[in-house]
Amino acid sequence: MRTFLKIIRQHIIWRHQLLKLAKADIIKTYSGAALGWAWAIIKPAVTIFVFWFAFDIGLHLGEGAGYNEYPFILWFMAGMMPWFFMEEMFIQGANSLRVYNYLVTKMRFPIATIPTFVALSKLLVHLALMGITVLFFLCYGFAPDRYLLQLPIYMACMLLFFISWAQFASLLTCMSKDFFNLVGAMVQALFWLSGILYNVHTMNVPDWLKVILLFNPITFIANGYRNIFIYKVWIWEEPAVFGYFLIMLVLMTGFALWAYRKLYREIPDVL
Amino acid sequence: MSSEKVVIRFSNVKKLYKLFPNDKKRLISVFFPKAVHYHSKWAVDDVSFEIHEGESVAIFGVNGAGKSTVLKMITGVAFPTEGWIDVNGRVSALLELTAGFDSELTGRENIYLKCQLMGMRDPEIEASEQSIIDFAEIGEYIDQPTRTYSSGMLARLGFAINVNTEPEIFIVDEALATGDSRFQEKCLARVREIIDKDNVTLLFVTHATDTAVKFCKRGLVMKDGKVTFDGPIEEAKALYEGGEY
Repeated sequence: MRTFLKIIRQHIIWRHQLLKLAKADIIKTYSGAALGWAWAIIKPAVTIFVFWFAFDIGLHLGEGAGYNEYPFILWFMAGMMPWFFMEEMFIQGANSLRVYNYLVTKMRFPIATIPTFVALSKLLVHLALMGITVLFFLCYGFAPDRYLLQLPIYMACMLLFFISWAQFASLLTCMSKDFFNLVGAMVQALFWLSGILYNVHTMNVPDWLKVILLFNPITFIANGYRNIFIYKVWIWEEPAVFGYFLIMLVLMTGFALWAYRKLYREIPDVL
Repeated sequence: MSSEKVVIRFSNVKKLYKLFPNDKKRLISVFFPKAVHYHSKWAVDDVSFEIHEGESVAIFGVNGAGKSTVLKMITGVAFPTEGWIDVNGRVSALLELTAGFDSELTGRENIYLKCQLMGMRDPEIEASEQSIIDFAEIGEYIDQPTRTYSSGMLARLGFAINVNTEPEIFIVDEALATGDSRFQEKCLARVREIIDKDNVTLLFVTHATDTAVKFCKRGLVMKDGKVTFDGPIEEAKALYEGGEY
């Protein structure tokens, strides 16, 4: 708990610098390429096109029920958009201390805040993508409704969980590159095992397996985004699912704090 | 010039580096601390000293004597394994000037970023921006990414930024050895200007003992992680150059 408060305090003291660093992180990612900002959009666009082509045109999965009268591409986009953020956080979050090692070894800087500003920089791209998503729905004739008010809640859940994850993973990545490689190998697996390409609630599997799948925070978030755009469900209508997520969030934060307490003194020595 | 106020105090400070055979063993040791054997290297071994406000102190020692580790701990980027360290005042450290930048950002962006990280506000930075660029003699390269800079340019920019932040405790590592001799002269003149102000404390780590004598009154000699001499600079210099310490 003391560690937790200490980290929160560091965030408050360094808040101006964090925003500047988040800004610099975005500039860094997209400058130096001729198309610059467009890459933030092109990459997701290509991925969505490929999946849409394979699943809707190729496999005809789009004709089935379960999309609540929405075209497959809209259903898919609603769940896929948060995944782009999560994927970035899995990899870049885990790598954040290594990338920003000059903040760790060359100056006095609270290392616990590094994953946070990396997450903030990714969040801005995510916000842009969500804007495009809303436009897409509009083009198909679906105007935003009051369920969109839930978006900040799910975004905050996603942000908090992945800041904790990045905190934990970036510390371990500093200790060993093996861990980072492990994360890289797991990301694809997590994508297919999470409820991004299917709806866990309507799956034809035993209940115990369903509960396990619902404990997956990625599933919670992808499903949450679909609750907003497709299923039109309020977050309090599925209290158990939200509860599972909160358990996972507390666990992840616990791991992050454990790793921080144990390792923050050693990190400058090993980077 | 020196007052009674202690700005840096080391009390029985020890620093242990754990040397693992490889990264995998180090990862395992995070989860099972007892399962993995590692070599212990005491980089700093039971060091105690006090430095008062306004003092200028040189630290001599061969490579590996623990000087850099001491400086890192003063700067706050490394933590002692045992013992206590008190530091009172804004530290500006010229440690490895060439490495403190984000190589993807331009020189100008780096000036802003670094100054912001040192706690300056945008108007303050704007005010000193031009003098930093002039001092560093970067010219039109200032809007190019710093990865395209030569090591001399990086060092000059790093020095220019650091001396602009009005430090209270000023740490100068070997960094000054970079750049041509004319620029070195310019840097030394600037260092002189800074420490001539009251209550600026200087810590000077170097092999160039003659330069150190010009700046410092007190000298510390380190060997194998221990402080073997602490006294007047001339004696420290003689001891270090004689090799009998």
